[in-house]
Amino acid sequence: MERGIGSSGAFAWFFQRISGIFLLLALLAHFWVLHYSNDGEVTFQIVAQRLSHPLWKTIDLAFLFLAIFHGFNGFIMVIHDYVRWKNVRLVLVSLVWVAGILLGLLGMITIITFQVPGGGL
Amino acid sequence: MKKTYRIFRFDSAKPKQKHYDTFKVETAKGETVLDVLIEIKAHHDGSLVFRRSCRHGICGSCAMQINGLNMLACETQVEMLKDNTITVDPLPGFKPIRDLAVDMDPFYEKLHSILPFLINPDSPPTDKERLQSEEDHRKIELATSCILCGGCTSSCPSFWADKDYLGPAALLKAYRYVFDTRDVGLNERLPMLDNKHGLWRCHTIMNCNDACPKHIFPTEDISHLKRKVVEEKY
Repeated sequence: MERGIGSSGAFAWFFQRISGIFLLLALLAHFWVLHYSNDGEVTFQIVAQRLSHPLWKTIDLAFLFLAIFHGFNGFIMVIHDYVRWKNVRLVLVSLVWVAGILLGLLGMITIITFQVPGGGL
Repeated sequence: MKKTYRIFRFDSAKPKQKHYDTFKVETAKGETVLDVLIEIKAHHDGSLVFRRSCRHGICGSCAMQINGLNMLACETQVEMLKDNTITVDPLPGFKPIRDLAVDMDPFYEKLHSILPFLINPDSPPTDKERLQSEEDHRKIELATSCILCGGCTSSCPSFWADKDYLGPAALLKAYRYVFDTRDVGLNERLPMLDNKHGLWRCHTIMNCNDACPKHIFPTEDISHLKRKVVEEKY
């Protein structure tokens, strides 16, 4: 039975809730911005211009990292709940970490480097 | 009132031969499932094994699964159960030993691990108890009425999945001491609580609330404990 030293879960539990609240608010804001601002007009040009703005890039980066944390931390919780073999658990948790980091990097590159095709703001 | 009772039978020496035995038993108004089990043992099959002690809902010995729900057999009157066939199983999640008796050792080990006693290095006032205000006591009053029957821990899906999980009973006991204003032992208990098999395996499923024969709400107290640990650490 591994107990005690260094194997907490307090931060994961706490931040899961913080990220959950952020995601709930961010999703509502996202829904409103996408479907109700600009009289509900959704075109590639409008979305692309928004995504080119540094403030929106910052918001989207926060959205990206918190969504990845929330989802992949959920995977890790399920693994800790149900996988009893220590080595299998280690492999699965490592895979979740690798997948989370790769997705985070991919999303980060996409958001940071995105520019409106054929012109700036 | 005559009903049929399906009783789980098991012998750890012959684990493959687990089965149900059926008995028809006549009961009078007010008689409990425990009365039925005593009747079966006395007049139908003397080899039936189950635990019981006080017969008044205080010792917690006769916790078992009756028609799929964890209950105390001594508190469950037959007339409360609407079905004509009543199925009695041992508490789920624990290792069965014989018939309705399960191995409670891991349950008590976990209970002991959270240091279930008052921790306070200061000596109490001479010739006095450590007094506590009524308001302070109210915070832990319900938690102090736990009879350690194991019904809550045995009903918890997190415990079914992770046998090393402390479980609601041990966490409730931890709450009882951590939130006792006379106790200063949180840091000593922290390594056991703040652990992969501790507090964070509770996902507020709330089966423990339904299972508790003393109407305690372990889920609520465990949530208080989670917040306390987070406040303590960050």
